[in-house]
Amino acid sequence: MNRSLVIVLGALVLGVALFGGSYVASRHLCQVCVAQPPGSLDWLHNEFHPNPAEMARIQKLHEHYLSQCAVMCRMVSEKKKEVAAALNGTNQISPAAEQKLAELAACRAHCQSQMLQYFADVSQNMPPAEGRRYLAEMQQWTLGLREENPQPPSEPAANERPRH
Amino acid sequence: MKENMNPDDVKLSALLRESRVSPALPPRFQENVWRRIEANAVPAQAGSWLDALAVLVLRPRFALATAAALVVAGALLGARAGDLAANQTAQSRYLSEVAPPALR
Repeated sequence: MNRSLVIVLGALVLGVALFGGSYVASRHLCQVCVAQPPGSLDWLHNEFHPNPAEMARIQKLHEHYLSQCAVMCRMVSEKKKEVAAALNGTNQISPAAEQKLAELAACRAHCQSQMLQYFADVSQNMPPAEGRRYLAEMQQWTLGLREENPQPPSEPAANERPRH
Repeated sequence: MKENMNPDDVKLSALLRESRVSPALPPRFQENVWRRIEANAVPAQAGSWLDALAVLVLRPRFALATAAALVVAGALLGARAGDLAANQTAQSRYLSEVAPPALR
């Protein structure tokens, strides 16, 4: 094979390896360094910039909500088991199963309304523009509106979003 | 006359050398010669750019500068991608904490 071709191809491979290696290493390092511990509200802080006092209030709201959420999750789980039991061995939806399904739906609706209330409370403890952005984003993510509205809600007007 | 010539005759040789008259070169002779040489140069071959590239690649300065630029570019892009990925992970974690998938 032509010597020049071998040299150029070798240089190309080396270049790709250098670029790829440094990209992968840097990506991994950055991901490890920036990673936040579970349960941390750092993402909220970094993304929506509440001040320390607001952050402390949000932290309290968050803890209170999580305890409520755990109770509601247990209730939903129990209702699911009851629905499964009511449906077990039948190929028709009995009135009892319908009743259990309605109870499960009510339980879920209650959970969702608590969740939305939590989002509203948190948004009120943020700078107004950021609060609106947070609320819109959370509602879109949690109510499944993201697929219907591909425009990301996290892109406010240029003058609204603080510069880093 | 040829028969009488003695090759070892040093004196005769010197006289003959002196008798040779070298004509004066026309003005800008050398420059014109080079110009003609350049004008008649062989046209570039297909593989010549590859040879030139190979020569360039083998230059230590060029190789080092290119390697450094690639490493820096890779590191910067990697850092940006890592930051975005970490942010996305943190967002997903927050969402799954406050809005379990069963509720969405």
